Amino acid sequence: MPAHELIPEAPVTRRFPGNKGIWVGITCELIEFLVLFIVYFVSRAHFPDAFEAGAERLSRVSGTVITLLMVTSSFFIACSVAAIRTGQRRRSIYWLVAGLVVSLGYPVAKIMEINWNLAHGINGESGIFFTVYYYLTFNHFVHATWGILGILWVLARHLVGGYTAEDHSGLEALASYWHATDIIWLIIFSFFYVLA
Amino acid sequence: MIDSTNTAQSSALAPLTYAWLGLVLLTLFGLGVGQWFRGVGWQPLLVAAIVWVKSWLVCRYFIESHLAHPFITKVMRAFILFAPIALILTAFFGSQFARWATL
Repeated sequence: MPAHELIPEAPVTRRFPGNKGIWVGITCELIEFLVLFIVYFVSRAHFPDAFEAGAERLSRVSGTVITLLMVTSSFFIACSVAAIRTGQRRRSIYWLVAGLVVSLGYPVAKIMEINWNLAHGINGESGIFFTVYYYLTFNHFVHATWGILGILWVLARHLVGGYTAEDHSGLEALASYWHATDIIWLIIFSFFYVLA
Repeated sequence: MIDSTNTAQSSALAPLTYAWLGLVLLTLFGLGVGQWFRGVGWQPLLVAAIVWVKSWLVCRYFIESHLAHPFITKVMRAFILFAPIALILTAFFGSQFARWATL
């Protein structure tokens, strides 16, 4: 037997970004949205005309602004993690503050979008497309709100020296949750604002 | 206990910046696709591809799922594949799917 076959392979030691707890939460979040996506696809398959016409009535500007806010805040928070890995604590805090400020644009944009919808006669009873639209986007908004509260908590810990280059799992856990929430929005955006 | 010392986590900002630029450009391009190719048969294919690429960019560069535990890699890979595949199937086989999904 060749010598290299006698040497046991090193075990796979890939890690959980952040901690295992947050990934339990993220997995539950993904499963919840998978179920909501199935609701979307079943509804779309049954009422294709309503879904094609419905997207025309929504504010594409609002959807695009929310998308740009989500990807930009995700980028800033990823930069915050990259900075703390090299021990640049102050820079990491600046990136996190930038991520928080941009993420706060989401509730503002969402409120403006709802007002725009109501002014144009769009509410939860405007048809199957809008029922599903409100169902998914409100759910996402709730998850994003938890994420914003998480950013505030992590920022408070960061300001009192809670994270170092060696131990920043809390910051990384928050970043993982926010990125997962970002991916969910990217999918929702294509459902309601792109496909007409 | 998971050992995190042998992973190659990135601390460089350039790849993150490129990923963010890609996400912004694909978002704007996706909007264009929604308008320019309205009613064209293969539009859902293009939209599905854009959704998958954008999701992959976030997984690969922001979450670094390729460096994560295999469970996370598989969960993220499956999740970002689900919507594009379902989009295509609904676009091309919507009526059959509706029949199957009727109670």
